[in-house]
Amino acid sequence: MPERLIVIGGGGAGTATATIAKRLNPDLKVTLFTEFPDIAYSPCGIPFVHGREIDNFESLFLSTVERYVEDGLDMRMETTVTDIDLDRGTVTARNTHEGFDKLAICTGWVWEKPDVPGSNLPGLHYVKDIRAAMEFDKQLDDMKRVVVFGGTPIGVEMAGNLAHRGLQVDFVDEGPWALSELLDPDVAEPVHESLTKRGVTLRFGTKVEAFLGDERVRAVATSEGELECDAVIVCLHKVPSAQLAEAAGVKVGTTGAIMVDERMRTSKPNVWAAGDVVEVPHGLSMLPIRGLTGSHAYAQGRVAAFNIAGQDLTYDPVWIPWGMVAGDYTIGGFSIGETLATAMGVPYVVAKGVGVSRARYYPGATRTHVKLLAEPDTRKLIGAQIHGGEGVKERADFLAFAAKRGATLDDLAWMENIYSPPIGALFEPIAIAAQNGLASLREKAAA
Amino acid sequence: MSELKRRLRERSEHYLLQDSMRRLGKDVPGTFKPYDGKDGWFWRRVFVPLYRRVPWTVKRRAMDTLQMTAKGWQPPPRKPGEPWKPPRRQ
Repeated sequence: MPERLIVIGGGGAGTATATIAKRLNPDLKVTLFTEFPDIAYSPCGIPFVHGREIDNFESLFLSTVERYVEDGLDMRMETTVTDIDLDRGTVTARNTHEGFDKLAICTGWVWEKPDVPGSNLPGLHYVKDIRAAMEFDKQLDDMKRVVVFGGTPIGVEMAGNLAHRGLQVDFVDEGPWALSELLDPDVAEPVHESLTKRGVTLRFGTKVEAFLGDERVRAVATSEGELECDAVIVCLHKVPSAQLAEAAGVKVGTTGAIMVDERMRTSKPNVWAAGDVVEVPHGLSMLPIRGLTGSHAYAQGRVAAFNIAGQDLTYDPVWIPWGMVAGDYTIGGFSIGETLATAMGVPYVVAKGVGVSRARYYPGATRTHVKLLAEPDTRKLIGAQIHGGEGVKERADFLAFAAKRGATLDDLAWMENIYSPPIGALFEPIAIAAQNGLASLREKAAA
Repeated sequence: MSELKRRLRERSEHYLLQDSMRRLGKDVPGTFKPYDGKDGWFWRRVFVPLYRRVPWTVKRRAMDTLQMTAKGWQPPPRKPGEPWKPPRRQ
């Protein structure tokens, strides 16, 4: 009898685990359960369809259920797993039991719900499920004014895109600037400018106290007054969907997500987990963190699959390169910025520099601002924030990798770079920042 | 115990971040006055000032002792060897 693998969850981690495990071990009988009717689409693209940057939702689909079936997977669509019995090695779905030898829990996340009156009113929308997004998109045609609640990355994307579509947008968050839990205030400044230019009304430092309306939300009561609206897009924190695993006795950590080791093994034998439902350590502090990106979820699913298939693959602590479009700006970075470093109490020195993305004279050149954070004694890189036009993503990826390998400000100050007028300037902005940082350290030492 | 640790981490992170935002956002153009809730007296008045006084190395050790850091992980060494240095200035 072939070995049976059950994967719960059809997001990036679940599909990666199922397909890669099957590819590595074709004898494995792989069954994937998902509560949703669709699979293999990019939810991260939804704000850009609402903003009409992307023509239609269909473009967000990367594959089909049939394709997975052709690859030999047993696909259980719209089938919610309601129980896991690890002693018997079964899961329960639609009141029937399915046996497994190995289990992968990739149940993802749900949005944090606002804990204020009126939060169950129709008209509060959460960006996640593509079918709900398609319906919401039709309703948007008849709307004039929306409130985006939550200064998170998806909040910034939704605010910018809905304003781009011509809606009047109030962007509300308790924090003093956009993405305040992630971004430093000096980097937030151009983001604010860009969102404002698109017509977004920024209402930061503002608490949402209630959602008002009878049959549907018609306004949001805030600490600064009432905001009329046709809908509210709630973009608070991601919460891991770990209840099913926790109820089965799988250990959950300090973030509320499933604890895994570097092979994505949970606290229970023959049970793996990956994606937004797990916590993994930050490379700098080794503190577990969760709620990372789709590329992290996919890579974790891949590691789980290799180990499920009997191979040995480990996942490293993360340095989290990140980047996004905020209005007309691109921002990014990796690991921590000054805000997080100050909150954690991590000692750091700052190195800042500004360069250009192409030769100064070449059409389309944009300014690239780089801020590096390094350990004061070793000068090892521990974080960065970047903003500008092109090349932010590549720099963030590179810096995260460099930090993981222990690169110092000295290394970066003397890094080699491409000089080719259409794609790269003579002086690399990262090197400029590192050189400025070293000069400032020398001045301080001499003083 | 795990629920207590979860709560401890969530509350401490929230108030440490609020404090950090107040410090760093002060006088930066384009930022707003943070929402000033009256809750969390202990965290704002006792925990945050105390936490800020403790050196990072001690905090790190305390996190390890309290088993707040990840177990079962081997981070790759961050010791690439002696970094290349520019020629010595005359």
